[in-house]
Amino acid sequence: MVQVDPLEEGEQPRFATQAENNPDGTFHQNMYRMAPERVPAMHLNLPFILDDLETETSQKQLSTARNIIRSVNQSFLPPLDRATHVEFLLNPLDEGLSGGFVALDASRPWLLYWCINALSILGEDVGAYNARVVSSLKPLQHPNGGFGGGNGQAPHVAAAYASILTLATTSYHVSRGLPENERLEVYAESFAWIDRGKLLQWIRKIKLPNGGFKVNEGGEEDVRAGYCALVVLALLGYDEEELRGDPSLGELPLLSGVAEYFKNCQTWEGGIGAKPNAEAHGGYAFCVLAALCLLSGPEEALSKNLDLNRLISWLSARQYAPEGGFSGRTNKLVDGCYSTWVGGCWSLVEAAANAIECGKGSTKVNVGDLWSRKALIRYILTCCQGPHGGLRDKPGIRPDYYHSNYVLLGLSAAQHYYYYDDSHAQSSVSAKSPFRHAYRWKSSKNVPKPSGDDGTGGGWLEGLVPDESDRVGVQHPLFNIPLGAEGQLQSWWEWFNDVSDVDAVSREN
Amino acid sequence: MASYDSDEEVDYATDPAWAHITPLPQDDGENPLAQIAYHPEYVLAMSYLRGVMAVNYHSAQVLKLTADIISMNAAHYTVWGYRFKTLMALEASNSFEDGKTNWSWRKELDWVQSIAKQYEKNYQIWHHRQLIIDHLNDPTGERERTNEMFASDSKNYHVWTYRQWLVKKFNLFDKEELDTMELLLKEDVRNNSAWNHRYFITLGSLGTDSPADGVIDREIEFAKVAISSAPQNPSPWNYLKAVLRKGNVDLVSLKEFCEQFAPIYSEDEIRSSHALDTLSEIYNAAGDFGKAEQALVLLAAKFDPVRKNYWRYRKRLLGANENVPTASEKTPVVHATA
Repeated sequence: MVQVDPLEEGEQPRFATQAENNPDGTFHQNMYRMAPERVPAMHLNLPFILDDLETETSQKQLSTARNIIRSVNQSFLPPLDRATHVEFLLNPLDEGLSGGFVALDASRPWLLYWCINALSILGEDVGAYNARVVSSLKPLQHPNGGFGGGNGQAPHVAAAYASILTLATTSYHVSRGLPENERLEVYAESFAWIDRGKLLQWIRKIKLPNGGFKVNEGGEEDVRAGYCALVVLALLGYDEEELRGDPSLGELPLLSGVAEYFKNCQTWEGGIGAKPNAEAHGGYAFCVLAALCLLSGPEEALSKNLDLNRLISWLSARQYAPEGGFSGRTNKLVDGCYSTWVGGCWSLVEAAANAIECGKGSTKVNVGDLWSRKALIRYILTCCQGPHGGLRDKPGIRPDYYHSNYVLLGLSAAQHYYYYDDSHAQSSVSAKSPFRHAYRWKSSKNVPKPSGDDGTGGGWLEGLVPDESDRVGVQHPLFNIPLGAEGQLQSWWEWFNDVSDVDAVSREN
Repeated sequence: MASYDSDEEVDYATDPAWAHITPLPQDDGENPLAQIAYHPEYVLAMSYLRGVMAVNYHSAQVLKLTADIISMNAAHYTVWGYRFKTLMALEASNSFEDGKTNWSWRKELDWVQSIAKQYEKNYQIWHHRQLIIDHLNDPTGERERTNEMFASDSKNYHVWTYRQWLVKKFNLFDKEELDTMELLLKEDVRNNSAWNHRYFITLGSLGTDSPADGVIDREIEFAKVAISSAPQNPSPWNYLKAVLRKGNVDLVSLKEFCEQFAPIYSEDEIRSSHALDTLSEIYNAAGDFGKAEQALVLLAAKFDPVRKNYWRYRKRLLGANENVPTASEKTPVVHATA
């Protein structure tokens, strides 16, 4: 009987020359600190089957794969070049951007989020930026509620999303380890200036009768808008009553029809598109999976709303060899940013798959990884690091701030085991929050191997991070901010809302 | 006055036509992070836009101003939104008809198309176009415009989203649409966006309705021909399976078709990993777990090794669907170690 497992039969370890290790000509100081690794055979050659018929798609795919083989085929995985990436990401914050970046003028909060979150993943203390993040974002709050992409611009849900994520990240960093009263003070300075009431009213204006959301008033409808809106609502601590709305004012429940809308975005391919009938796409898949997991636990979220098996099949087909990275759509090229958009989906679908398996018996079953962490790590370290800092789509393409954040987030997804734990659900924060399920995600450095149907076997996956100096920070799998930041923020809202209630009562008296 | 689509520069600060607008500076707050060192022209145009927006001023001049800003930053959603409001205000005041403006919806659409060709990855341009066509309620020429875009990038997500909206809005589920997809797939049978659109126009738009007679058979045949031309192309395989599901046709009916591309006991003759994947499902449904597992083993070991863990998971699920035969009927399975 042939066995499924004995793969990755690599060739004999070959000792790469320095030139091979450094296609970009840079020299990594600790290049030789690790033992050489056998390069799995799948990274050394083109796929076993190539059709004779050539089209534009196959030509692009072939030339990309050939180009990438030169980079991924390295016995010594290059280390994460932390220092130069940090420098690349600090530069726009400290020095500002040249006029050539004017195309990002309607995405100012995105710029802050990408750089600051990426620095945080790299282990930098971004707390020092908190006060300047606050003063940079205040002028973006629109007088009628919500956030614009810049001062004086119309409110846009992605601007609100990126603003809140940035604030959550820097306030978490600066308040860690502080006594409670000082911590509350940090959060007050960071968040109390946001007009939550007007923001909520504005979000009501972009909600559509079909359960979807528009990105702004008069703007386009897609699942990105829905995901961003839910994240903002979850992180700003709105409770059930606020979201239900006031029928006497003609307000409808804000969350009604939302899950149904997301559900309708699963396509004939099994993946998920920007809106119903649109082509399945990794970026939108992440938005929908994460959004559904904000509304319920992963098993209910993904298996009740979606055809989970077809979703997993489509997600799995996004990972290519020899490249090791993910593509965003069928018959498209790999791109480092899908390390998050597709890579980030895995912890969510695995949590659902595990819950389903456990439901069949009484033992703790783990289906193990449904993807290749090692292949993604190889793609990221060998192909996505720009020679002068920053991370990128693929070799030959200039790094940017967007890719830096999403490649690093994907690296965090590959290095850590993120799992859903509702065993202490009752004692966790905000048991009554509509988004309580989002606060039950945990991380571990130990990635479990699959166990048998009876829960036996298992053990931990070895060699994901051979050198701890390459390990990056842990991130919340739905919010994409440091794991733990969501809980700190939530406990501040609880305190803040209690105080506001007390104030309201004392005013009434 | 300059025409609204010309590159002729307007100096907003000195042009008397703009004297009635008070420019408003940008407030970036105290010690802002990641400030952009704007070119002076951008700063000036943006201060006039803020001035214009503050007094809700809509005139033909605003078309020039917004076009100027869009030429410097095509992703400026606020500017696009304000431009559309201005166009609507001009129409409401009959300014297009009486020749005062030298502008029209047609000119606007031509201008938008020229911008679209410069900035292919842009949400706003296609949304603006959608707003206009929605308002005019006339799709004439729009399919041709999107076809022009497909000539340079046949997988442009924004253009495809717009095309879908167009088809749905104006009920263009017709032969022309089907022929265009056939043409695009003839050019590149791996164009998954074209496959997606084909599914939308043939089956996806039906909702819970049943397809018309012959549609399922026609689409099965279309996918099979495409597969035969390049069996390792995932798009028509996914399409074929989706058509079967929609038509309630048993997947097992594909057994012989798949086996010609992937005889599982003649490894050297296997020409499609997707045939192996499908065969594993078919053998599983038929209760032939040994063969189902063999297909997965071949995928993991040789034909799609990066997905090894997924194939292992699929092995775990073998026999798990509702058509599972009773234990006594099961082919004995030797469990491989995971």
